[in-house]
Amino acid sequence: MKLKLDKKDLGSFLQNLMDEYDLFAPVQLAEGVSVYKKIDHPGEVDLSTSNPQKPAKEVFFPQSETMFRYGKSGKQNEMVSTEEVIRERILFGARPCDIQAVSITDEVFLGKEYTDVYYLNKRKTTTIIGMACDHPLSTCFCSSTSGGPFLRKGSDLFFTDLGESFLVELLTEKGMAFLKNKFFKEANTKEISLAEGIEEKALKMTDASVPVEGIDKRLDLMVESPFWGRLHEKCIGCRVCTYLCPTCHCFDIMDETMTNGGQRVRNWDSCLSPLYSQETSGHNPRPTNRERTRQRIMHKFNYFPKNFGRAACVGCGRCILYCPVHFDIRQAINWTSAKRLKLQRGEHSTNP
Amino acid sequence: MKNPYHPIPMVVKKAQVETDDRMLRTIELSFLNEEDAKAFHFIPGQFCELSILGKGEAPFGIASSPTEDGSLKFTINKAGVVTTGLHHVAEGAEVGIRGPLGNGYPMDLFQGKNVLVIGGGFAFTTLRSLIAYFLHPENRNKVNDITVIYGARMPGLLLYKEELLKWEKRSDLKLVVTVDWGDKDWKGKVGLVPNVLEEVGPSSENTYAVICGPPIMIKFTFPKLMALRFPNERIYTSLEKRMMCGIGKCGRCNIGHLYVCKDGPVFSYAQLEKLPKDY
Amino acid sequence: MEERRKAIQDRIREEAKELLSKKAVDLIIGFGEWTLPLRTTPIFVRNPEGADHLIWNSFCENNLATYLHKFSHFKVGVVAKGCDARSIVALSLEKRFKPDQLYLIGVPCQRMVDRRRVKKAVKGEILHAHEQGDQIIAEGEDFRTELKRDDFLYPSCRVCTHRTPTQANVLVGDPVEESPLAEAHPEVKEFEKKSQEDRWRYFEKESNRCIRCYACREACPMCYCTECFVDSSNPKWIEKGFSASDLEFYHIIRAYHQAGRCSGCGACERACPMEIPLTYFTQKLNQDVKELFNFETGIDPEAPPPLSTYQTEDRQEFIK
Repeated sequence: MKLKLDKKDLGSFLQNLMDEYDLFAPVQLAEGVSVYKKIDHPGEVDLSTSNPQKPAKEVFFPQSETMFRYGKSGKQNEMVSTEEVIRERILFGARPCDIQAVSITDEVFLGKEYTDVYYLNKRKTTTIIGMACDHPLSTCFCSSTSGGPFLRKGSDLFFTDLGESFLVELLTEKGMAFLKNKFFKEANTKEISLAEGIEEKALKMTDASVPVEGIDKRLDLMVESPFWGRLHEKCIGCRVCTYLCPTCHCFDIMDETMTNGGQRVRNWDSCLSPLYSQETSGHNPRPTNRERTRQRIMHKFNYFPKNFGRAACVGCGRCILYCPVHFDIRQAINWTSAKRLKLQRGEHSTNP
Repeated sequence: MKNPYHPIPMVVKKAQVETDDRMLRTIELSFLNEEDAKAFHFIPGQFCELSILGKGEAPFGIASSPTEDGSLKFTINKAGVVTTGLHHVAEGAEVGIRGPLGNGYPMDLFQGKNVLVIGGGFAFTTLRSLIAYFLHPENRNKVNDITVIYGARMPGLLLYKEELLKWEKRSDLKLVVTVDWGDKDWKGKVGLVPNVLEEVGPSSENTYAVICGPPIMIKFTFPKLMALRFPNERIYTSLEKRMMCGIGKCGRCNIGHLYVCKDGPVFSYAQLEKLPKDY
Repeated sequence: MEERRKAIQDRIREEAKELLSKKAVDLIIGFGEWTLPLRTTPIFVRNPEGADHLIWNSFCENNLATYLHKFSHFKVGVVAKGCDARSIVALSLEKRFKPDQLYLIGVPCQRMVDRRRVKKAVKGEILHAHEQGDQIIAEGEDFRTELKRDDFLYPSCRVCTHRTPTQANVLVGDPVEESPLAEAHPEVKEFEKKSQEDRWRYFEKESNRCIRCYACREACPMCYCTECFVDSSNPKWIEKGFSASDLEFYHIIRAYHQAGRCSGCGACERACPMEIPLTYFTQKLNQDVKELFNFETGIDPEAPPPLSTYQTEDRQEFIK
């Protein structure tokens, strides 16, 4: 049975949810700029962009997060934990690429050996309402990364925008708990077939030709390739790609002093920062942009697959859209294909 | 669920400056709570993240051996904010700890074999743990010959001087202490570690080598180990890399697909050969 | 206009070919086509055949001077607009490179198009765009819109009065008439009308969406410190979190570190993923520097920057 939510009821639906849940949704900060934030009233929700600048991982892994507080004496008995999540949460309006990215950050944070309790607590208390991507951009290549604009995996509820209403699918046990929601009505056959048509159209729009498949094997042959020397040239190390990437998860831990003690905080960090791997002795294993760019690409497409069996990229295209020097990761991936062929033939391409 | 980022409280039992240049200080810490002490089991080569609330956290190799009950020893090199803080903590002060972290030395592989330990400068900390472990009566039979070559730039910069004197007198271990430059009181060997290794010429047969030291020392010692026919699978080292979380989450300390904090810091050269030169 | 653009493009390629054939430079840094509409990308040409990839249009927005730090061991030819050339002059005064290390291919600039404003003016994704005369034609799946180019220029370009590089080794086009399209940066004008309190509130609102990515810093040719003040841990000047005061502190200090050094190119604003109008901070400071010290960055290759030098006649009425 498929359900629907009339758009005129969206505000009330969200308000109703907010009585019980903390609601995280895309919010516009300026024209054309939106992020995921906890909303105070339904009017703040902005579903007009194809994808907010900052990814949905922020809901589980905030850019700045207090790990614990301590008193002035610095003694253990004055430490206050901050990992508890009191209220249940809903992530509303996330696209399938961002939701697929959450399954990638799950691999890192919910590991067998150590569990990141901050991430875990947020993850298990959050119900994800995914929003189908009915109009992907030309820079979207989710279909090349085992994803897609209508990928339902990872969502508890899945909405498709039909114009006047949303088609609602309840996919998991958490989702089924909404079966009796007073704003959901039964969808009719016309609405269901409209949704199918939108899905068919969207699936044709994303780029499935980027050779992400097998890239880890190709990169195995390229660790010391002159390829990196040319690839990194135009990159200015501005870090925008890592901060907007839904799967990047590097962070920095620092103690911040406050009036009555302080707090240990973790903040997102980027492997493209020059001082990222700087050691106290003065030695830096990644002294130039060449090594740092190589690290970023190898991590996403070689090291992560070695550890977890898939590339740490969901094809959302943010790095392509927001890079100030127009570095296009699709081209870099394409070149690994061409490069391998050339390496096999014994040629070296030095000017891609 | 246990929060792996929360430091556990320890108290500074003893602290003393190790070296003449006052840059290295050894602190002995004991757990504040009995149950934490009981739950803490480690092997040589592992490290801990020591934390001073307000200053930060940093990783340090455990210098004491698991056979030395009651307290944990760390030798701190004064270099930045946290290490300066650890140089100033007085006896009785509280220090946080997270650990034990890392993989430690491959103690199982050493069973029934000879062990060659080569250390330089203040990288000797976890080597002390390894040696003290095997010198314990319960463990001495686990390995055959133990040869230790330890060098520092000058006599005043040697760590654990009193212990070295005791060890030199033992018959169940061959210890050669050397310095790059002697002083008027120094009666021991003078010579660079790679040259002393060549001189001592230990057999590589059935032997595992563990080498820890500054990059320059490793650079020149490694070819000597090659000349002595040590295969890469039997040469182990403990790597240093900038770390943050210590548990393989923050992404900072990776070498290829391995994390120095979780899959290391101890690696064999056979492993390192397959990884990018990212260290 | 198109003829002019094409003529400049041809001259850039000619110049590049000659320099590379004579081996007068190791490489040329210029602009090339890439995958997205309304965009170009910096390219690095090392042989004469590659020079045909160099292009010139109204989307050549990057300040290529920022690459000179990366290529400081090479002899570099660089395509420079008026603002880029001014940054290079400022860097030379700070002794960032030797004078014979650079060959400036100066381009009198026709002002760059603000691709974000163009995107917001149409409904749907732009799949193709090109310039035609004084228009931008933007085409998408189901639309074709013609926009007047002059209505969609970057704010820093609208107020620019130094579009022709004066210190170039060669000029690949005729100098342009140096009159601004707007009398002053519109944001700065609004800003100056505000009360002290309202100024602060505006600054607070804009800087509070900063995500501390430091793209502004990396895009700026004048930010080249090996350890930026934000990375210093001893002394720790600023935390890495998101308290309003940390965000404001970062932007205030960065803007002030640019005073007397900033050429007003707008690279910072274009790099910012959160679209913070950074040039209004820097333009206001540039204006202040002009009023107080009668100095504009990068115009006179001999004039020392006022905030790094001292003259006895320096005004000091602010010392109370």
